[in-house]
Parts: sequence; structure tokens; C-alpha cells
Amino acid sequence: MAFAFPYWDLVSELVHRELRVRYRRSLIGFAWTMLQPMLMMGVLHIAFSTVFRFNVENYPVYVLAGLLFWNFFSQSIVTSMNSLRANGGLIQKLPVPKSVFPLAVVISGVINLLLALLPLLVLLVATGHPLRPAMLFLPVSILIAAVFTLGAGLLLAPLAVIFHDIVELVGVVLQILLFLTPIMYPMAILPERWLWIVRFNPVRSILEVFRDPIFYGKVPPASHLTVAALLAIALFALGAFSFSRTSRRITLYL
Amino acid sequence: MPPLVSSPEAAQPLLELDRISLCYRLAKQRLPSFKDYAIHWVKGTLVYEKFWALSEVSFKVARGEVVGIVGRNGAGKSSLLKVVSRVLEPTTGTMRFDGRTAPILELGTGFDHELTGRENIFLNGMLLGRSRREIRERLDAIVEYSELGDFIESPIRAYSSGMLGRLGFAIASAWTPDLLILDEVFAAGDASFTRKCEKTLQNFRDAGVTILLVSHSAQLVLDTCTRALWLDHGHLIADGAPSEVVTAYDQSTYATAG
Repeated sequence: MAFAFPYWDLVSELVHRELRVRYRRSLIGFAWTMLQPMLMMGVLHIAFSTVFRFNVENYPVYVLAGLLFWNFFSQSIVTSMNSLRANGGLIQKLPVPKSVFPLAVVISGVINLLLALLPLLVLLVATGHPLRPAMLFLPVSILIAAVFTLGAGLLLAPLAVIFHDIVELVGVVLQILLFLTPIMYPMAILPERWLWIVRFNPVRSILEVFRDPIFYGKVPPASHLTVAALLAIALFALGAFSFSRTSRRITLYL
Repeated sequence: MPPLVSSPEAAQPLLELDRISLCYRLAKQRLPSFKDYAIHWVKGTLVYEKFWALSEVSFKVARGEVVGIVGRNGAGKSSLLKVVSRVLEPTTGTMRFDGRTAPILELGTGFDHELTGRENIFLNGMLLGRSRREIRERLDAIVEYSELGDFIESPIRAYSSGMLGRLGFAIASAWTPDLLILDEVFAAGDASFTRKCEKTLQNFRDAGVTILLVSHSAQLVLDTCTRALWLDHGHLIADGAPSEVVTAYDQSTYATAG
């Protein structure tokens, strides 16, 4: 069974290592990871308020919340896809359960996301955005996002071992998905005929469960929550099942 | 106490392999890309070449046996150890084994060269499935065995290959497993390291640990093992007393060498 473990200490060690590399020079490392979404937020803010001329109330908060989610989601997927190949030498010599690698990637992603909430909080205060108790709901949102992302990572990681170009393909798909997810724009600006694509995009459900408490200060409605949770569980089940089937064979491809 | 005499029919074998086969499916064309694969799949031109690294290998190992595996390069020895270690899943056949293995297929697998020796003990121990607490308990013994002294606090990129080998072996042999799986690992070190490894091996054997080892050294197999297996082209062609199997193997090597 892929998740029966005497290996929890190993997972925590791998997470430690991942974070240590990232935050090697503590503050500078952290500033560096925050710089990208901050810059992106600045650029988008200028672009959308001057060029496209539509107004979302407190757009910087809207877009930063979305980008933090997106960075967690896309980086975790790409890194978990590469994690098996990166640890190929090890997997060929030791009977380590292979699921520890994607799992450690997603857990470090969650920790990064939690840390990134601090600058977001600063932005909320600085822009006078109301802080509502609904934000206490975020741990549940993040859990849903993490389960969803781990599912995707488990599904894709073995494929990336067999077909090296899947990683690039997924990169392109993620790029398209970014534009099909209401991160940089509000749903309201979409023309009627495109609306359905975005509406049926599962990533949107997961995103909104994360962003609603921050931006609208409300706990997501039960219907949204149910859909998001079911999507996450379904993708996780699919990922875990296919991982346990394929991961036995992939050692030969490493 | 004399070590157990080879007795495959002993009551409850520790390890039992039943017609284990392992097939590497090699695509005739190298197809590491999804695009190529899809094209060939659509055209129906996917051709595979099958390579059987192991064919129908069956044997039982009783508790306390020390089994040496001999055979030429590419005979399937390492593949067999990987199947027993559960690194590779056999293509067909079943394996029965309950207990903990200590697979030492290569010394220092998973070492992180930026970390210190001490940090690597933890990382490596965890890769072997040990908890932080278990490692802390054995830490002093590992450091002592590795003879690294103060170097244990330096990043291991500064270590010589001998030091790395000693540290790797110290970690892997720190716990008494039910089954020790060794693949030619002490070929790397100097004479004193090799002697030390052999001593450890003998201690394990005397403590009743079951051992499965691959070695090119006929002497080691003769001295240490209670039983020998001879693999050739993935087939198990001899299974018996080390002296007989090693003699037969040696004769065949000379015969083909001309």
C-alpha cells in the first residue's frame, strides 16, 4: 500500500531539505519567493487598471490571492512530476515507497503557501481590506487544494518517468489553464460564450474555495465547498490508484 | 554453534521465491517522448524486444542460511537481489518474505554531498525506513564504526571514497535485519575496509542473520556461505554446497575462456 508508512520521518526530512534549499539565506530567500507574485501583481494591476479599463474593487488583493494559489498548484505539480526522476538513483537501489517524493513536494508547497499568506495579510491591511473571521476557514481551503494538487502530482509523476516530454506538455497545459482560471480577471468580464469553459474548469472551484474567505470575507457556500471537496477526493483517488499501479513498473524506466 | 546446514525443506522458510521472472521490455526504437510513442502507437509500429533478466527462478531460504550467488556479468544476479529487496517488481511469479531487509546494493545511495556526515546518517537511515528515534539510538555506534572521528561534522563532499564507503556500510549494517542483502559492496574499499566488512558479515552470520550476497570472490563465498546459487542467463542452474557450485562455476568459466 502506497501510504502505509514507517516513512513519516523521511517525508519530514525531505520537506526540511526542500525548504532549506529555498530559504537558505532566510530572509532573502523568502523575499525572493515573494518577489515573483508581487511583481506579477504590480504589472497586472497597472495593465488592468490603465489598459483594459475595468475595475475590480481592490484588484491587488484579488490577483495576489489568486497567484499565490496558482503558484502553489503549478509549482507543486511540476516539481512532483520531476521528483521521481530526480531521485531515480535512489529508487533503483532502495525499496523506498515512491510516493514519499511527491508527498514531500506538496507538503513543502503548503508550507510555502502558508508563509506567503503573511505578505498577503500585510497587503490586506495596507489596502484597508476588511479582515473577516471567515479567513479562519483557510486551513480547510488549503487542505482541499493540497489533496487536489497531490492527486494531480501522483497521476502525472510516473508518466513523466516514461515520457520525458510530458513535463513540457504539462507546462503548456498549465499555461492555458492559467488563462482559463479567473485569476487575473474577474468572471464578470467574460463574454457569455466563453463563460462555460471557465465555469467547468475544476481548478476554478478549488481556487474560489481558497480566495473567497480572503477576498470576499465569506466562507464558501456549502454547494461550492462540496463540489471542490469531491473534485479533490476524486482526483486524489484517481492519482493514488494509478500511482500504485504504475509506480511498480517505472523503476525499469528510470 | 555450527551454522545451519543448507536445508531448503526446513519447516518454514524465511524467503520463498516461486518461478520468479523479470522481463525488461525494451522498445526497439528509443521512445522517451510521448509524441513519438503516440505516433508509433497510432501506426501500429510499436515493436518491443523482450529481455528476460530472470526466468522462472525458484528457491527457498531458511532462517540462518548464508547464500552466495555466483554467475557471470549480466547473469541476473543484481536483478535477483533487487527483486528480493522489493526494488523491482517481478514480471511473473511470487515471492514470500515477512520481515525486515537491509538491502546494501550500493554504498552511499542517497547521500547528500552538501550535508555533514551526521546529517547524512539521519537522511540515509530514514531512506532505509528507520525513524529519527531509532537512528538517534544507534548514532554513536555508527559514528564509531565508520571511524570518521571529527570528520562526522564536515560536509561529506570532502570525504574520500573510502570514508564514504565506511559510512555507508556503517549505516546500512547498524540494525540487525531478518535478511541482509549484499551486492559486491566491499569491492570499493581498501584491504582493511574489506576485512572489516567481512568481519561484520561474519558477526551477522554468527548472530543467525540470514544473508543473501553476490560476490565475484570465490573465496568469500567458500569462506562465508552455507549454500551457493549459480545464475546463468537468468536461469538458476545450480543450487547446493558452496564448494560444489563454485567448482562447477569455475570450471565453466575456464572452459569458455578456452
